[in-house]
Amino acid sequence: MFTFTDQGRVSTCDGLGRRDFLQAGTLGALGLSLPGFLQLKAEGKVNPKRDNKSCIMIFNLGAPSQQDLWDMKPDAPSEIRGPFKPIRTSSDAFEVSEILPQHAKMAKHFSLVRSCYHTAAAVHDTGHQMMQTGRLFTGGVITPHVGSALEFMRGRRGDLPAHVILPETMGPTGGNMPHGQDAGFLGKAHDPFVLNSNPAAKDFKVPDLLPPREIGEVRLQRRRELRELVDGSVRHFEQSEQARLMDAHFNSAYRIMSSAEAREAFDLTKEPMKVRERYGMNRFGQSLLLARRLVERGVRFVTVNTFITVFGEITWDIHGSKPFTSIEGMRDIVAPMYDQGYCALIADLLERGMLEDTLVTALAEFGRTPKINPAGGRDHWPNCWTVNFAGGGVKGGEVIGKSDDMGAYPTERPVAPKEIVATIYHAMGVELDTELPGPQGRPFPVVDFGTAPIRELFA
Amino acid sequence: MKFQVTCQFLLLTALASAQAAAPAAAPSFRNEVQPILTRFGCAMGACHGAAAGQGGFRLSLRGFDDQGDWLSLTHSSNGRRILLEDPARSLLLLKATEAVPHKGGQRFSADSASHQVLLDWIAAGAPGPSPSDARIVALEANPPQWRPKAGERQALRVMAAFSDGSRRDVTAWCKFNASHASVATVDEQGLMSAQGPGEGMVSAWFLSRLAVVTVSSPQPGAVDEPAFAQLAPRNLIDRAVLNKLRQLNIPPSGRASDAEFLRRAHLDCIGVLPSVAETRAFLADSSPDKRDRLIESLLKRPEFVDYWAHRWSDLLLVNGDKLTTQAMWSYYQWIRRQVEANTPWDALVRQLLTATGSTLENGAGNFFVLNDEPTKCAETVSVAFMGTSIGCAKCHNHPLEKWTYEQYYAFANLFARVRAKNGEQAEDRVLLSDTRGDLIAPLLARALPPQPLEGGRALSLEDGSDRRIALADWLTSPQNKLFARSIVNRVWANFFGSGLVEPVDDLRLTNPASNEVLFAELAAQLVRDRYDLKALMRLILQSQTYQRSSEALPANAKDLRYGSHHVPRRLKAEVLLDAASQVTGVPTEFKLDRRNANRGTAERYPAGFRALQLPDSNIANYFLKSFGRADRIATCECERSNDPSMAQALHLSNGDTLQEKLTQKNNRVDALLKLGDQPAAMFSEAYLSALCREPSARESKKLLALWQDCPAAERRALLEDVLWGLMSSREFLFTH
Repeated sequence: MFTFTDQGRVSTCDGLGRRDFLQAGTLGALGLSLPGFLQLKAEGKVNPKRDNKSCIMIFNLGAPSQQDLWDMKPDAPSEIRGPFKPIRTSSDAFEVSEILPQHAKMAKHFSLVRSCYHTAAAVHDTGHQMMQTGRLFTGGVITPHVGSALEFMRGRRGDLPAHVILPETMGPTGGNMPHGQDAGFLGKAHDPFVLNSNPAAKDFKVPDLLPPREIGEVRLQRRRELRELVDGSVRHFEQSEQARLMDAHFNSAYRIMSSAEAREAFDLTKEPMKVRERYGMNRFGQSLLLARRLVERGVRFVTVNTFITVFGEITWDIHGSKPFTSIEGMRDIVAPMYDQGYCALIADLLERGMLEDTLVTALAEFGRTPKINPAGGRDHWPNCWTVNFAGGGVKGGEVIGKSDDMGAYPTERPVAPKEIVATIYHAMGVELDTELPGPQGRPFPVVDFGTAPIRELFA
Repeated sequence: MKFQVTCQFLLLTALASAQAAAPAAAPSFRNEVQPILTRFGCAMGACHGAAAGQGGFRLSLRGFDDQGDWLSLTHSSNGRRILLEDPARSLLLLKATEAVPHKGGQRFSADSASHQVLLDWIAAGAPGPSPSDARIVALEANPPQWRPKAGERQALRVMAAFSDGSRRDVTAWCKFNASHASVATVDEQGLMSAQGPGEGMVSAWFLSRLAVVTVSSPQPGAVDEPAFAQLAPRNLIDRAVLNKLRQLNIPPSGRASDAEFLRRAHLDCIGVLPSVAETRAFLADSSPDKRDRLIESLLKRPEFVDYWAHRWSDLLLVNGDKLTTQAMWSYYQWIRRQVEANTPWDALVRQLLTATGSTLENGAGNFFVLNDEPTKCAETVSVAFMGTSIGCAKCHNHPLEKWTYEQYYAFANLFARVRAKNGEQAEDRVLLSDTRGDLIAPLLARALPPQPLEGGRALSLEDGSDRRIALADWLTSPQNKLFARSIVNRVWANFFGSGLVEPVDDLRLTNPASNEVLFAELAAQLVRDRYDLKALMRLILQSQTYQRSSEALPANAKDLRYGSHHVPRRLKAEVLLDAASQVTGVPTEFKLDRRNANRGTAERYPAGFRALQLPDSNIANYFLKSFGRADRIATCECERSNDPSMAQALHLSNGDTLQEKLTQKNNRVDALLKLGDQPAAMFSEAYLSALCREPSARESKKLLALWQDCPAAERRALLEDVLWGLMSSREFLFTH
């Protein structure tokens, strides 16, 4: 249990005293991030009854192969069907790959959308943008991640940030473009909180969450006042957007560091070892466990990046050649880790009665080429891939959409990335014509006008 | 053969039957049909322009391949898309008008002009492109300039001129784009709408040509002419900036105070804070030329070399994760020596790009170790030295710019003969230029004669000389405008926080400069100064524009682009860390990051190294990482981020960086404590060291009161907290 100590004085961690000192003089700056929710609610755009939903977005960076995992083509020629066999699942509606045995057991709890496609360039970065923001960045307009938009509209539910990215943001994936993991035109004040640490590490802690041991509450307070003393001297800084932003971040930082709730949420040692091991003692597994803890404590949206980059890491990006991953690398390393972590999360949420209110979506930037390439791998293929939904009101064990004989193109119910994002907003209770203030005050509906969620997914 | 006979027969009959109705020439496939396919999206990447086509029908992306597209339309799938006997029932038209089901929906209606052109073209026998076709020579948008009031609208008219002397209104077949949606927007028909004050650009694309309209909307109200008349510009920068501000009716702020200027110039030019003694001396100096003298002394300081060597090491990607330790040092030392000698930028780039021999002896050669194949060289060279990205053209013509597939491969072929072999020492590579070997352009299945991107002569494939010499001649020639502009923009961005063009390395026709006159004049001046970067920096540092206060006026607070006031910005990661070391008197310890080689982070740099003196980005340092240092993996200004974040606030508050510096023995806190019996002097020293100013009356009062009330044993802690307050203030974290 954390304690603030100052010259022998020990304070309990009930949060009361601290919260008082936090309130002083911070609301002005926090006003930046106070939710437009109240206003939106007044306009009837947000249904407060449906504000109990959270979302865990598992971003399978690198892009898994639909033919080898969730949309197998056992009747296709060998260069298309690949080396793996489908197995029966607990759902009558679909089979999955033999390299996902846990998925087979959990199948009645999640549903597959097998007809997702996009039409932009087949580089990772474009898909990252569209799958997380609903739009491709054009004309210098950087649209916000759905989690950040949610934070903007509704604010945080407690001391914890509304949107957290685990374990860190996407790194280089070759396209040199932004990945859509921030608040974009909503402004940096609404950017997600990024963990920047490996929750599976032995000495895992959130970087800088707690003040140094020797700085007790009195000194913390004094430091703050001294900082404000200096800041109060050069008023004209308040016109600078970057400076205002720094202030807002300081205020958020003060809030999170003085919250017992926040410390508790990030403390994985509070979990029994059995639970930790169930998720897998690796970066991905522990990130998912942490995501569950955060959601449990009121975080609205957690984005878990399964991988950080496609270079020099064994990932879903199975080109078959260096520095990427081989199909065997996926079979032996990626799939077992993923199968264990994902299914542990779904099972755990289910057992805790949280699945109903927690949408879990596992998605990626595109699919992979139907035909195995000369290096024995599969390359980028945005024309068709599979996205996975569970919880948050979504029916399990269903298949939406269909791909052709090779898994190359959708043949039924093609689904564009913006419809995936619309589905997430819908599950979170956001009306799709809700407008966000875009650049220079231009209103931006959360998804393009006329976009509908995948209604069949919902019970 | 059979098809051709039929075709000619039909053509004859078609012509014969049309004679009565005074026939026009058949629409040109190249100049009239292709623009329609592009304008209505048929040839876009999402539809038939995809590499694999769509629904069995494949066009080249935005129609860069006339012959292929003509074959695709007239011959592929047994010619089923064209019905010469009954042109109106051609599948091409039925699909486009959605008379039959079409996944792409209706692209245009059957009574549109586009429909008529295609109909006429088919009726004329669907003739293909021919070498004798007229070629587009110019595209003009009217009006070329537009100065609207808020809410005003204006239809754009675009004329194309062809090599046969003909001119044609092609507005209906252009693709339009607006650069700054806050200033003006444009719809698909070319109708522009003014949105707000500022400058922007609307561009029209037709047959791979671009025409642009500059849009300029002044702020409402009358310009305060007497105020502008009173401002005497110091140099060409001020003249151009004041002109622009007058045009846009934005009043400039006043002059920055001496203390502000002193701090700003130090941080921007050499990356360190002025010492307390320097600050006192400068503030006490009453001579009128003291700012100019300061500028001259800064340009000569040893820290100048650290700062700019670091800056160019970012650009040239000096990275110990990609290079061996010796090679990394050799590369860095080469860069350092150039900065030390103030090597003109053209000479520096020439030496870099024509490097041969041992990469340990001639560090410049490591550029080719990092860029180890021709297309990578081509892309890096164009971004680094021309601020231009040509990567799109690796697969197809650049969709929005002028670069073509052929240009890309001809350019990349300039690097096809760079070879490296192992040298005598273990880590050495020896660079040489081979006399044979070419880069094959995959779609053409042949090598193209090597040729610089624009305005350069092609070399013969048989020529055995080092092609890079021709490249360097062309790249660094004064005729290559992008070369000077690119470096001007980078240097400008260093001093103002943003480039004249943003993003800094995205110079293109459709991304206008905030002040084109200024940009052109600065580039021309740099050429006159023989690419002497210090001359450029002097010009900037001396300008009133740079010396303007960061205090905005109500009427210029919104301006972040035109230089009406200095825009505060967060210090970059390395500068901030060094400043914290300087204020506390405690250097940072830097460990090499060898985690990728499974060798951990144990190796250290010698004590006392400043962050700006590090040769390598491959340093395990959370402070530098969270404050957005560049990783030096890809040539892109976007690698570095100077935006604030909560992680930074948390690290300043709770992290070990500041705390370790504050608590270390014999640091600045201890030095200040010796002045404990003169607390006013002590706080003055603390403020001058961090902020280059004395504490205000309000601050003094509060600090002295705290000091009096504090028991002697806790005074060190209080002083630590005072320094913490200073170093976490925005006044410290920002240059302003």
